[in-house]
Amino acid sequence: MIIAVSGKGGTGKTLVSSILVKLLSKTGKDLLVIDADPDSNMPETLGLYPHKTVGDVREDLKKDITDGNIPAGMNKWDILDYKIMESIVETPDFDLLMMGRPEGSGCYCAVNNMLRKIIENVSSNYDFIVIDTEAGLEHLSRRTTQSVDTMLVVSDSSKRGLQTASRVGTLAKDLEISFKNLYLILNRVKSENKEELIIKAKETAIELVGIIPDDKDIAEFDLKGRPLIQLPDDSKPVIAVKKILDKILDNG
Amino acid sequence: MFSDIPVDVSPMHEGERIRAANMYVELAGPKSIGAELVQVDESVEDGKYEVIGPELAEMTKGEIYPFCIKINIKGEKLEKELEGVIERRNHDLCNYVQGFMHLNQRDQIWCRVSTEAIDAGFKLVDLAKAIGILFKEEFPIIEEISVTILTQKEEVNDFVANAKEIYSLRDERARELSDEDVDVFYGCTMCQSFAPTHMCVVTPDRTALCGAINWFDCRASAKMDPDGSIFEIEKGEVLEDVKGEYANVNNIISQKTQGETEKVYLHSVFEYPHTSCGCFEAVAFYIPELDGIGIVNRDFGGETPLGIPFSSMAGQCSGGKQVEGFTGLSLEYMKSPKFLQADGAYERIVWLPSEVKQSLEGFIPEDIFDKIPTEEDATNISDVKSYLLEKNHPILERIDKLSDDVEDELHEEEPSEKVPIAEVTEPNQEFIPAASIPEMTMPISGGVKIIFKNAKIYAEKVIIKKK
Repeated sequence: MIIAVSGKGGTGKTLVSSILVKLLSKTGKDLLVIDADPDSNMPETLGLYPHKTVGDVREDLKKDITDGNIPAGMNKWDILDYKIMESIVETPDFDLLMMGRPEGSGCYCAVNNMLRKIIENVSSNYDFIVIDTEAGLEHLSRRTTQSVDTMLVVSDSSKRGLQTASRVGTLAKDLEISFKNLYLILNRVKSENKEELIIKAKETAIELVGIIPDDKDIAEFDLKGRPLIQLPDDSKPVIAVKKILDKILDNG
Repeated sequence: MFSDIPVDVSPMHEGERIRAANMYVELAGPKSIGAELVQVDESVEDGKYEVIGPELAEMTKGEIYPFCIKINIKGEKLEKELEGVIERRNHDLCNYVQGFMHLNQRDQIWCRVSTEAIDAGFKLVDLAKAIGILFKEEFPIIEEISVTILTQKEEVNDFVANAKEIYSLRDERARELSDEDVDVFYGCTMCQSFAPTHMCVVTPDRTALCGAINWFDCRASAKMDPDGSIFEIEKGEVLEDVKGEYANVNNIISQKTQGETEKVYLHSVFEYPHTSCGCFEAVAFYIPELDGIGIVNRDFGGETPLGIPFSSMAGQCSGGKQVEGFTGLSLEYMKSPKFLQADGAYERIVWLPSEVKQSLEGFIPEDIFDKIPTEEDATNISDVKSYLLEKNHPILERIDKLSDDVEDELHEEEPSEKVPIAEVTEPNQEFIPAASIPEMTMPISGGVKIIFKNAKIYAEKVIIKKK
């Protein structure tokens, strides 16, 4: 099952992703986390160090081709396959693949095509995949999230957050991308404007699946730079995401 | 057949990855060493499967060990040349074994054994046996086979060193592989998402324009992804040997480009040059004044002697258009023995960015190397010409002929040696091609349509004014 988490930058997308990872890694199933947002800090929130990204692999290959370092009798599929495997951070509970920056100058359709196929193949070995997608909507128009089962759109209580969420909904419809489930999550909600936000959320035309209350734990974690994956099981955000996950698993 | 092997052996396990979390041990890979090698050996002991060094049971869970697979084969029709092709199958066949992961090839292999396989009682000797049986089944020309697995550090070290020498011998042969040696070429339509009428033809002597894929990569692609955008082209009838025209290539290109391109010459920029997508690493462009060909690569930011940079030139000939006088190419193709052979190869090249020129040392014939100017020597056509004259570039013979023809037509006085060439453009006056467009329709009202085909318009100045 592939769960993608998207939303405007700063709305709590990475918070939702890391709690999902925390919860899913306890199920004993094989879990792959794909960090597809070059601006996120997924490794840190998961308590890991930054590592080689798919973007780095692509640049390395380009350089090896230019420098003539690839033996004539070897093919680039196998080399890329190896390098992608090498770029995966493996932990006892889950594996992490970082996409990194999109390509620089020059066109590399061929390499990108190979990479897509290889990542598809690698992904097929896991029971669960959580993708932290780019904040923008590009991932939709580039159709990189086409095989996603559940798309979670995270918004805070800001108008722009909700606008972005609503645009994800319309764009998915326009591009005829059918997710099994498309859900909205409201984050950092203060109890006093909860009712008002629920009404506003209806305008996005995306089903509201859960509300994450404003929480002082998170502010403290952020302040101290503690990995969000270490949030206590009984903290409000973890409980809220647990409910959301249960619903996804029931529908999946 | 595999009844005494405790795990399942079948193609359905291909693509299986073993996570570190589910792994018993890792073999070879980035943190250790290893290799695989197939060799024809007349003294092979058929059916001998053995492990030299510790078996899985003697290894510690979670550790990494050196690892080699040595496959010796014999058969009446087996030749040494086939070793590489047969060895290439080892990756797939190893992956048939459930609970065994195999990546890459040669001395770059990376394997893992799953904890499940160990629990089932799987041993490395089972792997050796499975490979032996599968190879015989896959290649009936293999009559006898033995498989030895090495896991002892000293033996692995020696084996890898020896294997590396054999790989480089094979690479030398692979580099010599030419269009004549193969029966299939490959077509690639990966770029059709933005160049819907472009198809690359990839042959041993001609890598794809993007430089990313060569003939070997295509062969792997067509197998990895049979419904993908890289496919086989049966070479078929050769129509033009030197220009590189093949009946089947023409047929397929016509089909795949919706009839836009019906004919290509693989090794010429004239008449029917190979079309270009947008990804090409470099462009070859014809310079009519010199009857020569210049080349500019994507990374070269300056202007070519034509007065325009790579980007403008790329704009004119990309998108799958067939534009005579222009062709996109990869830097690797410039090292090919068939590089623009129909046009005179390097004898026809009159300008190159210095970076590209340096990378081609040893590939450009020695007697021409110093005669080709770069941006450090000349940046406009008249300077290029002076340089060619000074260095006595072989193109001069062509220019001589060209100017002789012009002279004849004009019935002028007898041509003095090389003066007319220098006078073709007036000193201190540079002409900048304002437009060089394969086909352009002028926006004119009043029921008239003017179409310029393959027009090159030279103007000292272009002024566009609002009425």
